[in-house]
Amino acid sequence: MSEPSWGLWGTWEETEQHLGKIVGQSVGPDPVEQGSIRRWLEPKEFACDIHTDAAAAKAAGYDDLVAPASMVFTYGIAPYWQPGDNSAQIDDEPTQIQIPVIFDVPAPCDKSFATSVEVEFFEPLYPGDEVTCTSKLVDIRHKELKVGKGAFLRQEDTYTKQTGELVAIAYLDIFRFVAVQKEVS
Amino acid sequence: MHLSDIVAGAELPPISIPITLQRLVMEAGANRDLSLMHHDTKVAQATGAPDAFANTFFLMGMFERLMRDWAGPKARIRKIGPLRMMIFNAVGDTVHFKGVVESVDETTGTVTLDMWVESQRGKTVTAKAVLEVKG
Repeated sequence: MSEPSWGLWGTWEETEQHLGKIVGQSVGPDPVEQGSIRRWLEPKEFACDIHTDAAAAKAAGYDDLVAPASMVFTYGIAPYWQPGDNSAQIDDEPTQIQIPVIFDVPAPCDKSFATSVEVEFFEPLYPGDEVTCTSKLVDIRHKELKVGKGAFLRQEDTYTKQTGELVAIAYLDIFRFVAVQKEVS
Repeated sequence: MHLSDIVAGAELPPISIPITLQRLVMEAGANRDLSLMHHDTKVAQATGAPDAFANTFFLMGMFERLMRDWAGPKARIRKIGPLRMMIFNAVGDTVHFKGVVESVDETTGTVTLDMWVESQRGKTVTAKAVLEVKG
């Protein structure tokens, strides 16, 4: 198995060309449903009946059983494989979560990490809802940190339902950089 | 819980949860962030982490649990963040999610929270949040 890559290589001029533009869109393959909610609650030992019982959710003012607010990220992730895709081979690069400012925006950097995330929630997600995530590059700030020289790239993710209703807007800050070479004594 | 019951400085009941590889694998399968550093020790260590470490979706979800356990089913979560990750939450760590009421706005019916995660490594994550609480 090959090593995972840490971002598309390119020049800063190429990075700038993506500023203010849509850099990716993913359509979640699975509608909201009770089974995926239960499996999401399980590793967090999260017990709350508005997420598991429609009557309890309605008593709390919702239209139906409601997904946890932060589960919107999960429902907006594109499939890792779907019919028609090639079969993964042992030497293929492993598939990672798709973050467009890393994987689809070129930059002269070979490392990256997320530093901050902020999300505002609007319409709740109910069973049957389908989520689309549209990503835009909204800011580039060059910076030199201890780990290396690079830039903070800010990705704006807008999550909408099949009806067009706004579910959430998230801002993700990613630092992309070239690692400082450690001196060998 | 009613807005009139909430005062600035009130502490949310903390949650402690051990990070095991099994939990991270369950979490990755459920939240769909299958990036390798969250379930593969070697890849995680290549990024400078001590072991596979919890992903952002897990941290967000646990903060949601912290708020929901405290505020009850009628509260609406309006905002989480900025959420800043400073130190890894890795396999073998027991992490403690904590929070305190920063302010209460009676005109908008909202409560601002200051939350964080602690482990033996120190304060690993910080996050603000805004909750809407009716009544």
